[in-house]
Amino acid sequence: MNILGYQVPKELVVVMSIVFGVLTVCSVIFRILAKRKPSKMLTELIVRTNSWWFIAIGVAAVVIGPAILGTILVGYVSFVALREMLSISRFREADRSALFASYFAIPIQYYLAYKGYYEQFLYFIPLIMFIGIPVILVLTGKTKRIGVSMSLIPTMLMLTTYMLSHLILLFSLNVPDNSAGAGGLIIFLIMCTSFNDVFQFTWGKLMGQKKILPNVSPNKTWAGFLGGILTTSILGYCLQGLTPLTGQQALICGFILGVMGFLGDSIISAIKRDLQLKDTDDLIPGHGGAMDRLDSIILTTPVFYHMLRFFIAQ
Amino acid sequence: MKKYFLKLFYALIVRPWLQLIIGVRFENRETFDGLNQFIVVANHNSHFDTVSIMAALPSSKLYNTRAVAAGDYFGKTSISGSLMSLFFNAILINRNRQKGQPSTIDILDGYLKQGSSFILFPEGSRGKPGVMTDFKKGIAILLEKNPGIPFVPVYLNGFGRVLPKDKKFIIPLICKVRFGEPLFPKNKDVDSVLNEVKDAIVSLKNTDERDRNQFDF
Repeated sequence: MNILGYQVPKELVVVMSIVFGVLTVCSVIFRILAKRKPSKMLTELIVRTNSWWFIAIGVAAVVIGPAILGTILVGYVSFVALREMLSISRFREADRSALFASYFAIPIQYYLAYKGYYEQFLYFIPLIMFIGIPVILVLTGKTKRIGVSMSLIPTMLMLTTYMLSHLILLFSLNVPDNSAGAGGLIIFLIMCTSFNDVFQFTWGKLMGQKKILPNVSPNKTWAGFLGGILTTSILGYCLQGLTPLTGQQALICGFILGVMGFLGDSIISAIKRDLQLKDTDDLIPGHGGAMDRLDSIILTTPVFYHMLRFFIAQ
Repeated sequence: MKKYFLKLFYALIVRPWLQLIIGVRFENRETFDGLNQFIVVANHNSHFDTVSIMAALPSSKLYNTRAVAAGDYFGKTSISGSLMSLFFNAILINRNRQKGQPSTIDILDGYLKQGSSFILFPEGSRGKPGVMTDFKKGIAILLEKNPGIPFVPVYLNGFGRVLPKDKKFIIPLICKVRFGEPLFPKNKDVDSVLNEVKDAIVSLKNTDERDRNQFDF
């Protein structure tokens, strides 16, 4: 199907129509209800739905638009996420030049991803930046507490930039012509990841007593975790049409994405707990910061990419 | 001419740059609705403070709002002086006043009488990062001389890390410009007014918010 001059596979059109349809229905219903009987919860719901609109339109632009647009958008999201994580972390004044350098790694990393320089992409942050940032810190000559900064800055770069930039590599992955292309893969990944959050939350609310990580995030239960990953596996199986995967492979992908989503969420929760913050920022109304939304996708993206390479490139 | 230049310059360049790249957030800008003349008072940590407050003002108020800068620092060359007055409407004040020259208070009071608004940092210079120094008396005297003009307190958080004192380059980190409601001083004597102004700024800091004007270690 042709949308705005871009050839869009029909599977994508179906999924995106459903998403935008649900959002429209939600927006309309919440507004009607709020007009009849205004309440704080409805205002909150409307704010949240508006943010979802924003996110959905951004994702649609990445999926449908040209690869360069997707690269710029996702690269900017990485930048916002890194800025957010650096803003809440505790640093020394001597770390400023290393912080500056870490921002510079973003355009380079996304350029490598866009061009499909796979090897350089793989080692740029884990090797060059993981050596470069400590070297810059050493050159400032301030050694007190330097070890913390040496590990903190590259790790934040890893979480926000390296992980997410794998999304752009999906554009240059060789997928069979009869599939829904890179757009389908991205939609598959985002759907599995975000619905996994919803499933884990819902299962945890429905039945769940035994906490899985009581000291990190007290809301997570074993029932939520297990119910979540099983439901996500089934979702992955149902969405196999978006990918060139077989049913069995899509099921395995859904399962692993569920586990990874949970782990990513827990990592960010632990960082927030250490800093005694509820949200990483107040950027997205009703959702908190960018990292509060991205927490699960940062781990699912690279794992999904490498699973695809393993399954398809055989 | 300059009026439209300032509007466009701030709307197309300064505000997008501050909000999208640096990460500056403006809170409660509606406080200026219906205000004609005001004195914005803020805590001072960085050279970045003035441009951020200017950008946070509604476009219609830009032309009439002036910043005050130290002439002996910013006016060293005529180029930097004219740039300051072009972009910030800045008035350059010489801190080492010769005998016979009008005092700073008189100069500012004259501009207020002509209808200008001001951005003032009652701490004077930027001082130690994150520490609010004692306020200079000038703000209280100006408010007393112009009882019809309210002051608008601002709490700036984060600018001391974006561009600390004595540092050359800016790094993007989230920072906030939070406006309070316009206030008229209740007391008459200078010291009580100064305390009122200081309390108004401090009260804008949320209790659960970390002071990000300084680095942690």
